[in-house]
Amino acid sequence: MATILLEVATPDKGEVYKNDINMLITRSINGELGILPKHANLLTELIPNAMRIKEGGGETQLFVSGGFMEVTPEKITILADAAETPDDIDIERAKDAYKRAEERVTTYKSAPKNHEDIDIDRAEAALARAKARLLVKGVPIP
Amino acid sequence: MANLQHIRRRIKSVKNIQKITNAMDMIARSRFNAAREALLSNLPYVAKTKEIMRRVMGQMRGQEYEHPFLKTRADLIAEQQEGAGKFLFIVIASDKGLAGSFSSNVFKAAHDTIEYDGTSENSSLDDDDDENFHRKNFDALKGIKPSGKRTPKQQRQMSATGGIARTTSHQGGATSSTNISVTREYNDADYIDGIELITVGRKATTHFRQRGYNIIKSYHGISERPQYKYAKEISDLVMDRFASGEIIDVTLIYNQFKSAISCAPDEVTLLPIVTDDYAKASANLKEEYIYEPDAVTLLDKFLPRRIATRIYGAMLHSAASELSSRMNAMSNATDNAQELVGRLNLFYNKVRQAGITNEINEIVGGANALE
Repeated sequence: MATILLEVATPDKGEVYKNDINMLITRSINGELGILPKHANLLTELIPNAMRIKEGGGETQLFVSGGFMEVTPEKITILADAAETPDDIDIERAKDAYKRAEERVTTYKSAPKNHEDIDIDRAEAALARAKARLLVKGVPIP
Repeated sequence: MANLQHIRRRIKSVKNIQKITNAMDMIARSRFNAAREALLSNLPYVAKTKEIMRRVMGQMRGQEYEHPFLKTRADLIAEQQEGAGKFLFIVIASDKGLAGSFSSNVFKAAHDTIEYDGTSENSSLDDDDDENFHRKNFDALKGIKPSGKRTPKQQRQMSATGGIARTTSHQGGATSSTNISVTREYNDADYIDGIELITVGRKATTHFRQRGYNIIKSYHGISERPQYKYAKEISDLVMDRFASGEIIDVTLIYNQFKSAISCAPDEVTLLPIVTDDYAKASANLKEEYIYEPDAVTLLDKFLPRRIATRIYGAMLHSAASELSSRMNAMSNATDNAQELVGRLNLFYNKVRQAGITNEINEIVGGANALE
């Protein structure tokens, strides 16, 4: 089966993932993307999501908190702000973060005028990150 | 005749200094390990960003996407001929001294770059380094005839040489001569006005403030442990100034970490991004990229990230270099102190021996006199 090289790098953890894979499923700002070997050149921005990596019959998950993805026919390079394998993720922290972010988003949505102090973009990004982290970990979202 | 007590005191003070330098060496050593770790973890990210940048810029040439940060050299020259703009330099040094030639090396490189006026003998135009445009941009301007108004670069050349002596030589007699003096006068108001500085590290701030430079922002207390948010702050500020048109060139000067015993100053032009140089690096790349959502939106996000990454990377390089320099300086100082103590001990014993011999002589002399 044809393979494509996947490299994931972050600013403070170096190369988090490097392997020949069969398929990558991730989410860009335009929606879900599946990358197979020999894909056309592509440059796009990723949103926080749980990436699915298919390799050698199995499937692993990797959390990315947004960043950029460059695809060439032989190689996928992901420049992520942060990337974590399921083992790196702290469930409790992710759960707490999810609750906090969800609370903020719901209070804001209930009455946007009264809650102008809430940075809704930030809260929503935090919610998306926490959701993706829990998804990678396989924890049901509360 | 040296006094025994004086020598003893001197030995003691040297030993005390040795203790201090030894402690500083160990502190630097442990911090250095952390700094090197941080740098090594950051390197792949920076390298990959650069790689992508190269590929994207390489294929971007020819099909001009309008983006304010991207310019071809021809654009740049055309722009220089009409408008005045300032130059911005970011200098990264340390907060504390006692790190050998760490700071002075950066300052020397910074002065060389800031005061560069295109008169250097060996032209850098053929240089393939696609991250260092500053001097190339200058060199490219050499052959340009001024159109009435003086260009900022030429203005800088003038004031940098304190006159027009050198300017006329390669501007084909732009202005008739009045004052021919080749001494550089950096306190010249015109010259200083054309330059803005952002400094990281107390040493850099004091150095350039003393020389009358206009420092628009300085960061202290972060040089040993850089954080991304400061790099982000600097890059936002820089991009703001650039977008407003006040700044036409942003160059970053820092110490690049090579190994635990060597580092060398490096300079990087952050803005504008000159596409010509990238084209050279990847001339054979023909395929087009798909941009999602579209090229301009994507570049709007990618370029700021690239600039912040570059600054952060430079800060990490500088931190590792600073600590390794301090480590070396302090271990040298400790060794020197050890040697000095040895020599002083020898001297002390000689003096002591001389004193004893003297006393014996006196006793023998006295006894002889009694007989």
